[in-house]
Amino acid sequence: MKLIRTGKGQLRFQLTPREKELLLNVLQLYPRIPSGYQPLSQSTGREEANQCLLDEALAETRLQNQKELRMLLSDSQRLRQQEGQWQLTLAPVDVGWLLQVLNDIRIGSWIHLGSPATPLKALNAQTAPDLWAMEMAGSFQMRFLELLEG
Amino acid sequence: MAETATPELLPGTIQEQADDAKSQLEPGYAVICWNDPVNYMEYVTHVFRQVFGWPRKKAEFHMLQVHKQGKSILVRESLEKAEHYVHQLQKHSLHATMERDQ
Repeated sequence: MKLIRTGKGQLRFQLTPREKELLLNVLQLYPRIPSGYQPLSQSTGREEANQCLLDEALAETRLQNQKELRMLLSDSQRLRQQEGQWQLTLAPVDVGWLLQVLNDIRIGSWIHLGSPATPLKALNAQTAPDLWAMEMAGSFQMRFLELLEG
Repeated sequence: MAETATPELLPGTIQEQADDAKSQLEPGYAVICWNDPVNYMEYVTHVFRQVFGWPRKKAEFHMLQVHKQGKSILVRESLEKAEHYVHQLQKHSLHATMERDQ
C-alpha cells in the first residue's frame, strides 16, 4: 500500500488487488470488542449510571462506525479500480476513523484469544482466525500510520 | 503496550505544567491511561494527539509514561469533561479510566 496523492483535503492510497482483498476481509470483522469490556473507573461500586451511559455511547459509536464502513466499502468514488490497482480516497478524519476500526478488530481479536500478556506461540485451528485478524489489522494500522507520518 | 520503535524522547524531559496547576483546580477527575500489552506505541501516540490536540513530543511523553510506569495521568478535568475524554480514548480501544482526584 502506498500513499500516492494528498491534496484538496484528501488522501489517496494505492493498494494491490491482494491488499484490497485482505483489507476488506479484515474490515468485515468489525466490531470485535465485546460490549461492556471497558470500565469507566477502576473503583468499583461507583458511578454505575455513568458506566451504563458510557457503554451505550460506545455501542452507538460502533453501530455508526459499522454503517460508515458499509458505505465506504460500497462507495465507488472512494474505493475504485484503476489500471489493475485499487485506489482508496479518504479525508484525513476518515483515516483516523479507519485506524480506530482497525484497532477495534486488533484488540477484539486479542480479547478473543484470552488477552495473552505475551505473543501466542500455539497456532492451531482455534487460534488461527483470531491471530490472523490481529496481525492483519495491526499490519494495516501500522502502514496507515507510517504513511500519515511520512 | 506492544513494543514498537522507541521515540527519542524519554520520560522526565518535559515539564508537566498541569501537575503544578493541580492545586488551583476545582476538585475533579483525573483521566488515566493504563498500560496494556497489545496497543501499539505509535497508535497510542496518534490517539493522544487526536484526542487532546497535543504536539508529538507531549503525546510521546505520556505514551512512554504509560509504557514504562504502567499508567499516566493525562488531564485533570470536571466530571463531564473527564467522561468525554475517557469516552474518546475508549472509542480508540485504549484502556482509560477516570478517578476522583484526591
